Amino acid sequence: MKRIQLKVNGKVYEVDIEEDMRLLDVLRDKLHLTGTKEGCGEGECGACTIIMDETTVNACMVMAFQGEGKEIITIEGVKGDHDLHPIQRAFLEEGAVQCGFCTPGMVLSAKALLDQNPSPTRKEIREGISGNLCRCTGYNQIVNAIEKASQYLRGEETKE
Amino acid sequence: MEIKEVFQTKEIKKTLEILEYYQHQCKIIAGGTDLIIQLREGKEKPIALVDISNIEELKEVKETAEWIEIGSAVTFTQIIGISYLQNKLAALVEAAASVGSPQIRNAATIGGNICNASPAADCIPPLLALDAIVVLQRKNIIREMHLEDFITDKGKAALEADELLTKIKFKKLQINQGLGFSKLGFRKALAISKISTAVYIDREQNNRCKEIRIANGALGRCGLREKKVEEYLLEKTLDKTTIHQGGIKLKEEIEKRLHGRSTVAFKKEAVIGVFQKAFKKALECCDTEGSI
Amino acid sequence: MKLEIVGENVIRVDGLAKVTGKATYPQDLYVDDMVFGKTLRSKKPHAFVKLDISKAEEISGVIKILTYQDVPNNHHGVLFKDHQVFCSKKVRSIGDSLAFVIATSEKAAEKAVAAIEVTYEEIEGVFDPIEAMKEKAPKVHDDGNILYHYKLRKGDAENAFEKCDVVVEGEYKTSMVDHAFLQPEAGLAYKEGDTIVVCAATQYPHFDQLEIAEALQLPLEKIKVINTAVGGAFGGREDITMQIHLALAVKVTGKPVKTVYSRQESFEAHSKRHPMIMYYKTGADNNGKLMAMEAKIIGDTGAYASWAINVLRKAGVHATGPYEISNVKVDSYAVYTNNPFAGAMRGFGAVQVPIGHEQQMDMLAEKLEIDPITFRLMNCFKVGSRTATGQVLEESIPLQKCIEEVAKAMDFEQKLEGAV
Repeated sequence: MKRIQLKVNGKVYEVDIEEDMRLLDVLRDKLHLTGTKEGCGEGECGACTIIMDETTVNACMVMAFQGEGKEIITIEGVKGDHDLHPIQRAFLEEGAVQCGFCTPGMVLSAKALLDQNPSPTRKEIREGISGNLCRCTGYNQIVNAIEKASQYLRGEETKE
Repeated sequence: MEIKEVFQTKEIKKTLEILEYYQHQCKIIAGGTDLIIQLREGKEKPIALVDISNIEELKEVKETAEWIEIGSAVTFTQIIGISYLQNKLAALVEAAASVGSPQIRNAATIGGNICNASPAADCIPPLLALDAIVVLQRKNIIREMHLEDFITDKGKAALEADELLTKIKFKKLQINQGLGFSKLGFRKALAISKISTAVYIDREQNNRCKEIRIANGALGRCGLREKKVEEYLLEKTLDKTTIHQGGIKLKEEIEKRLHGRSTVAFKKEAVIGVFQKAFKKALECCDTEGSI
Repeated sequence: MKLEIVGENVIRVDGLAKVTGKATYPQDLYVDDMVFGKTLRSKKPHAFVKLDISKAEEISGVIKILTYQDVPNNHHGVLFKDHQVFCSKKVRSIGDSLAFVIATSEKAAEKAVAAIEVTYEEIEGVFDPIEAMKEKAPKVHDDGNILYHYKLRKGDAENAFEKCDVVVEGEYKTSMVDHAFLQPEAGLAYKEGDTIVVCAATQYPHFDQLEIAEALQLPLEKIKVINTAVGGAFGGREDITMQIHLALAVKVTGKPVKTVYSRQESFEAHSKRHPMIMYYKTGADNNGKLMAMEAKIIGDTGAYASWAINVLRKAGVHATGPYEISNVKVDSYAVYTNNPFAGAMRGFGAVQVPIGHEQQMDMLAEKLEIDPITFRLMNCFKVGSRTATGQVLEESIPLQKCIEEVAKAMDFEQKLEGAV
């Protein structure tokens, strides 16, 4: 047992961890931030994607103790000026959400991409979400949504 | 897994003390993308883990007059982003960019890729082709070794229990020297290499091959050099016929090495194309100006 | 008339919860005092099996280990009750459930699962459905391995082939496919008064309720199934996985019990798409009119029936593809083997057969020297067509238009010229 400090979504948590816990386990089982999903446990599916120090990582491939001293953002910390983040709004509008299990990770990959590259091409969007599997949509709606979100974030009007 | 102690260190010295104390019972963790799976499958059972991903010294890439030095905790994403590597060392950048997915590249490190010595590790072939040297440090001793000698077998590296891989270095490329890389996987993202090949060429003025190093991944128990093919190509004129013959020679080697494996029928043919792509890119790279 | 929904872009009702990470899948449920369950699964495909749980029971944190002896009525299954909740004597495929450990922590449950001593007495298995159909093949269940035979007869195929100008034959195989829905199975069950509540992601809450009640021999109203958010299913959540295990665990221990499958366990626990072997013979006259078709389709349902009958019937019904043929003879079979069991998956048997009938169409077109689009247009279903099963298609058959549009969109004519 070890006590660590974790900074998640701007809030500092004192949390007791087992040494062999993954960051994913702490987020879910200890902090009950269950928006971060486990789909495979080996870095293939990206359902556990979080942002750590401004880059995306799979929370299943980070040990809990390695999270100390990092700035961690989970889906619970993604918000817009009013309520929804423009990425979340675009996902809803474009039908990019079906079963929803990939959605939190997908939104975070999209966020990390758009934070670094505000005007990605469709190819860059596809590359940006290449570590996130979706079994429902076939990806096109997700790419559309991220494209639309980039327009929202740049303050542009969209066609609709 | 029964891990009792975990350490996040900020300096090499402290890390070496921990390694010296725990010896084989401690595992070094950086990106964790290989180790955490091994821990969960019970393939590794350390009692201590030491995280080196916060040691600034290990996260630097340095350029000196003659050498490029890459810290062992440098991530693939970092390598992809270094502007002075994009030109003469585009092949190394390409190999780094072909690893896993954005999430994996953000975490996984070049040192981890080397020390885990997976047969399919993507960065090993270009580093072997560059004849890279690994720098290993333990308390009071620093030693250097050719990467080729460091990787001994599938999943095995000549790293002592109290030793830390601190950096990988290789000589900068000059005009008429070039590096090429090509990879074959089942899909674009998250594909473990079926074949990856890197070729380094040093070209003479008369378009003959002064020196050549060919390294393959996923075509043996670990990343390895194709010395017989190299010998064969030495002093040959670098033209289409040579590239073609080199491919045939490599096919013969692979056929011998993978004899009896289910993949041999496919790989012995596919390797020709992968090799030729890497070879052509290496030749193009020879033409590229700039000293890196 | 103005339609409110059709043609409008509607935001799905559960979209907001999902896009904010608040949607609750069963693994996201945490209740006070909950304990954890872990399944012991067979590592052999066909074997008599004996368990010794004594050492596992001694492990600290273990509350109870459930085996077949704890199940009042040890059977379940969507069509036939050929699944056992826990195998009593014999395992029929890798992944079959043998026991369910209930413990105070996941780690303790995992340790105990590893500590259960399993003695396998291996029996010869059968993994090829063609072999399995033979009389002397090892029997997966007590009766023969041929679970179902569907016959479709229209006209006189045998006679019609003799009148055909061209006949092509082919053998086609499709492989086993997993749904790989992104959310691995998980569930939480607890007591609410004297009712057992099972929270799971399922395609059939009402049917799960019935299966749980039957297995536990409890009245239907004492079982409540709550369907949580479902992280993809595609047919793979139609059969029971952990629902009965959890309900039984609650009945025996009185405690809330949670279980979460790993990706690997998920692959072992749920159904697959039926691999099929298809023999096709199709004939046409020189004008390009389809005259006769004969097909034999063998579906490997693995160790359990699940929906095999419906799937292989559908494969048989759709065997002609969307083409009018006057003389048809189809035989489709569902066959038990010791492979992972097959069940429902998107398309339900209708997606395997196009591999066969469409390749047949291409080969016939080539022989007849008619381009494959024209050949399809000549024979495809239209309003008024009669299918092989005798159904008259009375309205809305826009296949012709669809084929024409696709041909246009892909520049078919131009590409065909380039290819010739």
